[in-house]
Amino acid sequence: MVTNRIDHTWGMVVDLDRCTGCQACVVACQAENNLAINEKSAFLEKRALEWIRIERYWEGEYPNVKARFIPIMCQHCSNAPCEPVCPVFATYRNDGGLNVQVYNRCIGARYCINNCPYQVRFFNFWHPTWPASFENYLNPDVTVRTRGITEKCTFCVQRLRRGELEVERRAGGRLNDQNMAERNYMPACVQACPTNALTFGDHLDPDTKIRPYFDDVHAHDIHHEQERTTRSYLLLEELATAPNVIYLKKVEPYPIGENEHNG
Amino acid sequence: MKLTRRNFLAWAGLSAIGAVACDAFGDDLKTQSPVNQPEDLVKGRDNWYATLCRHCPSSEGVLVRVMEGRAKKVQGNPKYPINLGKQSARCDAGLQALYHPDRLAGPLLRINGTLQPVGWNIALDKLKEQLETRGEDLVLVTEPLSGPLGTIAGRFAQAFGGSHITFEALSNATYQAAVKNVFDQELLPDLDIGNANFLLSFGADFLSTWISPTRWSIGFGDLRDAEVGSGRGTFVQIDPRFSMTAANADKWLPIKPGMEGHLALSLAHVIVQEKLQADDVDLQALTGGQEAGFLADFSPESIGPKLGWPEAMLGGRSAAESIRELARDFASHRPSLAIGGDSAGAQKNGLFNLEAIYALNYLVGSVGATGGLRFNPKSPLPEWPQPPVVAALAQWQQVVSALNEGKTKLLLVHQADPVYGLPQAVGLEDAIKRTDVFTVSFSPFLDETSALADLILPDRIYLEDWGADTPNPGPGFQVVGIQQPVVNPLSSLDPRSFGDILLSTAQELREDARLPWNNLLEALEESSNALFALDRGSIDAGSEKEFWTKLLRQGGWWDEKTTGPAVKPTEGLYSQIAKGASEPAALGSSEFYLIPFAHNTLLDGRNTHLPWAQSAPDPITTVTWQTWVEVNARRASDMGWREGDVIRIEANGSFIQALLYPNPALPPDVVAVPMGQGRRNGPGYAVGGEERESSNILSILDAALVNETGALAWAGNRVRLAPTGESLRVSKFEGEYAAREIGNQIINNPGEEIIKTVAPGGH
Amino acid sequence: MQEGRILTATEVNRDLLRSILDTPRWFWPVVMALGLVVLAAAIVIGVMINRGLGITNLNRPVVWGFFITNFVFWIGISHAGVMLSAILRLAKAEWRRPATRAAEVLTIFSLMTAMTMPIIHTGRPWRIMYWAFPYDFARGIWPNIRTPLIWDPSAILTYLTSSSLFVLIALIPDFAVLRDRTTGISHQVYSMLSLGWQGNPRQWKLQIISGVLLSALILPVFVSVHSIVSWDFGMAMAVKSWHSTIFAPYFVVGAVHSGVSAVAFVLILLRKAYGWQAYIRHEHIDALGRLLVVVATGWFYFFSMEVIFGIYGREADEIAVRTLQFIQWPVSAWTMVFVITTYFIPVSIWLSRYCRRNLWIMSFACISVNIGMWLERFLIIVPGLANRQVFTFSWNMYSPSIPEIIIISATFALVAMFMLLFSRAIPLVPLYDIKEGDILKTEIQIGRRAVPAVYRED
Ligand SMILES: Nc1nc2c(c(=O)[nH]1)N[C@H]1C(S)=C(S)[C@@H](COP(=O)(O)OP(=O)(O)OC[C@H]3O[C@@H](n4cnc5c(=O)[nH]c(N)nc54)[C@H](O)[C@@H]3O)O[C@H]1N2
Ligand SMILES: Nc1nc2c(c(=O)[nH]1)N[C@H]1C(S)=C(S)[C@@H](COP(=O)(O)OP(=O)(O)OC[C@H]3O[C@@H](n4cnc5c(=O)[nH]c(N)nc54)[C@H](O)[C@@H]3O)O[C@H]1N2
Ligand code: SF4
Ligand code: SF4
Ligand code: SF4
Ligand code: SF4
Ligand code: SF4
Repeated sequence: MVTNRIDHTWGMVVDLDRCTGCQACVVACQAENNLAINEKSAFLEKRALEWIRIERYWEGEYPNVKARFIPIMCQHCSNAPCEPVCPVFATYRNDGGLNVQVYNRCIGARYCINNCPYQVRFFNFWHPTWPASFENYLNPDVTVRTRGITEKCTFCVQRLRRGELEVERRAGGRLNDQNMAERNYMPACVQACPTNALTFGDHLDPDTKIRPYFDDVHAHDIHHEQERTTRSYLLLEELATAPNVIYLKKVEPYPIGENEHNG
Repeated sequence: MKLTRRNFLAWAGLSAIGAVACDAFGDDLKTQSPVNQPEDLVKGRDNWYATLCRHCPSSEGVLVRVMEGRAKKVQGNPKYPINLGKQSARCDAGLQALYHPDRLAGPLLRINGTLQPVGWNIALDKLKEQLETRGEDLVLVTEPLSGPLGTIAGRFAQAFGGSHITFEALSNATYQAAVKNVFDQELLPDLDIGNANFLLSFGADFLSTWISPTRWSIGFGDLRDAEVGSGRGTFVQIDPRFSMTAANADKWLPIKPGMEGHLALSLAHVIVQEKLQADDVDLQALTGGQEAGFLADFSPESIGPKLGWPEAMLGGRSAAESIRELARDFASHRPSLAIGGDSAGAQKNGLFNLEAIYALNYLVGSVGATGGLRFNPKSPLPEWPQPPVVAALAQWQQVVSALNEGKTKLLLVHQADPVYGLPQAVGLEDAIKRTDVFTVSFSPFLDETSALADLILPDRIYLEDWGADTPNPGPGFQVVGIQQPVVNPLSSLDPRSFGDILLSTAQELREDARLPWNNLLEALEESSNALFALDRGSIDAGSEKEFWTKLLRQGGWWDEKTTGPAVKPTEGLYSQIAKGASEPAALGSSEFYLIPFAHNTLLDGRNTHLPWAQSAPDPITTVTWQTWVEVNARRASDMGWREGDVIRIEANGSFIQALLYPNPALPPDVVAVPMGQGRRNGPGYAVGGEERESSNILSILDAALVNETGALAWAGNRVRLAPTGESLRVSKFEGEYAAREIGNQIINNPGEEIIKTVAPGGH
Repeated sequence: MQEGRILTATEVNRDLLRSILDTPRWFWPVVMALGLVVLAAAIVIGVMINRGLGITNLNRPVVWGFFITNFVFWIGISHAGVMLSAILRLAKAEWRRPATRAAEVLTIFSLMTAMTMPIIHTGRPWRIMYWAFPYDFARGIWPNIRTPLIWDPSAILTYLTSSSLFVLIALIPDFAVLRDRTTGISHQVYSMLSLGWQGNPRQWKLQIISGVLLSALILPVFVSVHSIVSWDFGMAMAVKSWHSTIFAPYFVVGAVHSGVSAVAFVLILLRKAYGWQAYIRHEHIDALGRLLVVVATGWFYFFSMEVIFGIYGREADEIAVRTLQFIQWPVSAWTMVFVITTYFIPVSIWLSRYCRRNLWIMSFACISVNIGMWLERFLIIVPGLANRQVFTFSWNMYSPSIPEIIIISATFALVAMFMLLFSRAIPLVPLYDIKEGDILKTEIQIGRRAVPAVYRED
């Protein structure tokens, strides 16, 4: 039942000026969410599962060269193209603003994968297996997906649910930046990220760290992108998927091609 | 009921009304109800225990989520001052060590040439027998240990008259020596990267593997934060290799390996010449009173052309001019911080390089200042050795000759894999195989060293054991971290704590007064009481017991008020440093500089058996599970080499093979190879790769030493490359295309940007 | 214009029922061989269901591959039935008569085969009931009607139902003929199927009216089926080269192109196999060829427009997909093969009267079209998914695995096997239609020449 929960709309802010591409978030997510082990064959077959992945882009060539990193996870689009195409409602937008995936219903048609402009959905081509002793560390809050199912970042909904249960229903408070961080209800990737490139919160709550960025984006939509007061932008904003993940532009003091800044 | 036309219409009408009525519930019923799904149901209670991670040398505070006696998640302990709740890509994999299917279940004894399972009684008797008969000739090898275990190991060796030596493939010995020479400190300094405004780093891959990467990454995040310190700081990396850290620099300047110290002295020259130094700098002391001709040999004009800076990078200016500009930037954007390590310190002239680099901090007033270097106070527990003395390669060469001469008859190895990590040229493997030394390993897993052992006494994994640590470097104040068992070993396993074994055997055989404890826990409790007696710091407790409880709950004790000493330069520091200057030899034709590097997750190979560490893509190449060799993309294509070609890397008469990864950013005369693969003995996931795609670069290194420190000069090798003609697929995460943002040159269309950028000051 | 001589009813019955009343010697061996291929595929499918779709070469981001390509292909083939039966019937094209039945039956079998493809393609085919059927009323779980994947089964099932009706109604008089010529169980079955047909004027009238009505009703279905199939792609806003408004007509015309070519080839085969030279005559194949010139050219127009509109916007990612399709090796080579085999080879053949009347050359042209059209679907689906889009980091290609190739080959075997078996049960050339045509046929005198013509009352 949908009980009288406190309204949340969860969102994330990714600061590209901080992300170092260190992969801490990637591994933390795999540990938290029972992702199948990406064996070598998974990479050779191009079937590795990474709910959050780090894409590395080259710019230029030696010696005037840059490599840039961007973490990409499900953008939890408010207007998600993956949702309408799923024949069985296995993916939908829930009351916390999350795009959730119901493994139980998914028949593996993979239309959602095609229609996700961010390529964050992953298909289980094989039945995931672990050495029996590894099963000890599987997170009991997270379903293990079988073969034939599509999966993706959930914003660690199990942690949010535990938070709601403990903080909101049992203690009568409200999940906020502080108690989420202190009590391990932050998504695993956010918790792990050593440079604090990832910030998570509820953008309905006026006091969260992410709120100003969402206000900025909401006040200056794509037609007024130049007027934004922060470094905010949305990935593929022109597709109007209305993501709940905001990226902060990378600061570039020495852009390639401007050699006069050297030294 | 009979279906007549009349009641058919009635039913049709009713169902239409029903359909409309259902719609009145709105979206909730339509899209929520189908999917009010199990994520709603969280069952069971979890506990989070604070402990220490001993997974990599940085040793950080972690919280472990435990449900029903099983560890479920490892993540940073938000209270622990070193890592403040953060972690690296290595930390989670502790779970896989804990539950690894190939953990050794119990002791193994070599009988008739093969290792066979035996009971603990037999195994321990064997150990005691060996200690009794050969105790005086023992060498105890451990990873660098601080905390009580370090004390116990040292005293244990002494009790039998043997010696204790630490092993680390990429030892900090040179860095430690530089810190000693430049700042007269035994302890490594904390780097206040977060508050710096200009960070100049030489070679140190500090965001990935160098010293305390999680801590430096937190600092790096703050450096990039406009709200922290003096706004968004600038970061310049000087590095012969395009490392992950270099990729994150605002500017990366390649450099000829071994010229780092010359550049640093040249910068110092410019700063003094142009009077850019900070106000209260004691130039008199630094220059030894020779301000006028200060470091004249290192003027940009003479150093510039030797750095190997390509013209295309300089944009029409001379290298000398660029050095001057860099010096001005560095000196004027204070607080500025100069750091160095990794390849900069692993040349023959590595000590000179690091000294020259760190001395820069004096000129800009960053020694002991905010945004600079913070020095650490001594441990509050003086009994514990700190810092752990890291053995240099020179010492290892002595160990090997002692083995060969039959002087060492008993080798005890705890969680170190010197057979894997030392260059083959040192000859440890041969020595162990050839002599009749009795080797005891305390490794929970098979590795290259334990595979040669005569007796293996598997230790507990850190999540099952007691321990403590005074981190080095600390955060600038006193910290003691406490490690507690968060789970029991699985019932199918019977490991025993290394510390407990040392204590019990020592008591039985020697009754040494310096090892009064029955087990590690007792030693810890004694330390806890000692801390309680200090009556300061982060724990407020009325009794020893309460203190102990809070200590465990918090994961440690720290006292932010007890900070490090003030540091002053010694008289004539710069002339001392300049004396050590030496230039690297020229590169032979068709040779490459080889820069090996610690793998982001596998490090020096210690994590190779952990699938999460294996499958985490390398940040730059995204390669997993394999050994690759990075070669400048253009040079590779000029030679007709393609990604995945099996390349033979020859150095010092031996060779390994690796798969080619064309890297558009690497200097054309440098090749870079990660460490970590190429294990032939060990648990699943660590072994099994073919030689062509899994090899150990450490094995072919020349056993050359860093001048004065005797550490391995692992970045000073020259290699030749030869394609073998074979080609394999590279198991990388990246797609089939070395990604660049697309635009269309033909029609001059920029395309959609994924990574948008702004100029500093722009929003 | 009509060729050939007017046949007697006896001849018609004798010739056209030959496929049913006696079995040629090659029949069972051929059926067995086809059956073996199908069996092999069934085993592969079993393994795939058991182990997972990993045994295909699908990957990230190319998660749709050979199966969906083949699905679209067979749906395309199925368009021949309505094209020939309904449209040509309404247009009163006399030459359609011998071709209709084969075309309709081909429609039914290719539809059925097509439907298996998306089911095999899903990760958990055993859960298919969630997809096409509303099953959980208590929790209000319905299929998601916003997705083309729900429109697909609706459209296809509608098309299958109406095509089956079409065939059945047209079969009634022929069933009656069979009823009168068989004994035993066959007799009883044909009696049932012929629904008490006596051949009286009222029955003929009803049969003709229902045929015409169905023809008219089925037209929108015909257009919608492949339109909807095209929307599987057209609606996917995230796949650059799929998200195109031109897809519906482009796919429909393409379907007719491949379907009619396939029917022409099937007719040539039947003519050879059962010696129906008197029924399936050169004029018929010739007429199909002429029709195909128009269809193919229409198709080619849409194809070019799709590409031209695509690159007209000059968006970098659009250019990247087109580069993959047209310039990059080896996809560009396949594209070359596809365009030549789909359009240039067959159309240049069909432009020549000599070629249209040479059955070998015609067969070649028709097969060529279908090779090309199969490639066309592949070259729309896979390069689109290969993600030549802004996230260049995920760019990747796909080539099929052996299990996929086995399954795809088996669909051809399956359709062929069904057609053969069916030809044992019903006449693949409609007896009554031929007889009707012959009755209406006569010769009229124009000047000094006697010209065959057709009477029509309306
Ligand atoms: N500022 C401003 N905005 C306007 C208007 C205005 O006057 N001022 N006018 C409005 C009006 S009236 C209109 S009609 C719209 C038009 O706006 P749009 O609908 O955006 O029209 P176009 O920019 O002409 O075409 C959009 C893209 O679709 C692609 N395309 C079209 N058809 C196909 C196809 O079949 N296949 C493929 N692959 N690609 C295809 C083209 O390559 C093009 O890149 O703009 C509206 N917006
Ligand atoms: N070169 C070129 N030609 C095109 C197109 C193209 O993309 N490029 N696009 C085509 C398309 S899709 C379209 S829809 C047409 C549009 O072509 P038009 O219908 O000519 O549209 P506009 O040029 O936008 O402006 C129409 C006029 O209406 C006036 N107007 C604005 N508001 C009002 C009002 O409230 N009342 C009245 N009476 N007038 C008003 C405006 O000032 C303007 O003068 O152009 C077509 N022609
Ligand atoms: S990012 Fe992709 S998967 Fe996530 S909500 Fe948006 S469309 Fe769906
Ligand atoms: S793969 Fe699963 S979630 Fe995606 S469209 Fe198919 S059924 Fe829906
Ligand atoms: S929010 Fe959770 S599920 Fe999503 S990427 Fe981060 S860790 Fe993974
Ligand atoms: S953990 Fe943070 S810094 Fe590291 S890759 Fe992920 S987002 Fe980037
Ligand atoms: S960085 Fe290393 S020491 Fe620190 S928590 Fe992670 S694995 Fe442990």
